Amino acid sequence: MQTDLPERREAAGLSQGALADAVGVTRQTINAIERDRYDPSLELAFVLADYFDCRIEELFEPPADDE
Amino acid sequence: MSDTLQPTIETVAGSPRRYKRVVYSIFVVGIAGLFAGMLFDMPLAGTTTYLLGAWIGGALAAVLPRVSSATLTDERDTAVHRHASGLTISIVGTVGIGVVPALYALEAAGRLTITPTMWGAIWMGSALFLVWGGCYVYADNLQ
Repeated sequence: MQTDLPERREAAGLSQGALADAVGVTRQTINAIERDRYDPSLELAFVLADYFDCRIEELFEPPADDE
Repeated sequence: MSDTLQPTIETVAGSPRRYKRVVYSIFVVGIAGLFAGMLFDMPLAGTTTYLLGAWIGGALAAVLPRVSSATLTDERDTAVHRHASGLTISIVGTVGIGVVPALYALEAAGRLTITPTMWGAIWMGSALFLVWGGCYVYADNLQ
C-alpha cells in the first residue's frame, strides 16, 4: 500500500520514533509502513490519519494495479 | 514499583530491539544449555539451565511489555507471529501429508525401517498438527 507518511512525518518535524510514541507503536512498525513492507491495521490507519488530521485515503492508497 | 526495579526495567526494556535481544538471548542460552548437557552427559545441569532460560525468558516476555513505559510489542509483532506460525504449520502439514505416508509404504514394502527417532518426529509433527487444529477451531469460534 502506498503512503505519503514519510513526507507528512518529516513536514511535521517528527522522527520515526517520535511518531511511533505518539501513536503507540514501535519505531520498527512506522519504518515498515513507510517502506511499504507492512500494511497497518484499520485501527492504526485511523489513528495515523487522525494524528495528521487527514482522511485515511489521503494517507494511504492501494497500488495502481490493485485498482 | 521499587526505585531500583524501575531503572532496571527501563534499561532492559528501553527499546523493542533491546527487549527482544535480551529475551531471545535468554531463551537461546537455555536451549544451548540443554544441548550442551546432552552432549557432555550432564542432563541434570542441561535441563536446569533450559528450565531457567525458559521460565526467566517467558516471564520477562510476559511482564516487561506490561510494566515498561516504552511500546515493546505492537500489531506488527502479532502479524509477524501469525505469519511465522502459518508458515510452520504449512511446512509440518506438507511434510506430514507428502512424506509420512510414503515412509509407511516404504516400510511396508521392506525398503525402509522407520527408526525410533523418525517415529518421534512423526508423533511430534502429528501432535503439533492436532494442537493447531484445536487452536484453529477455538480461534474460529472467537471471530
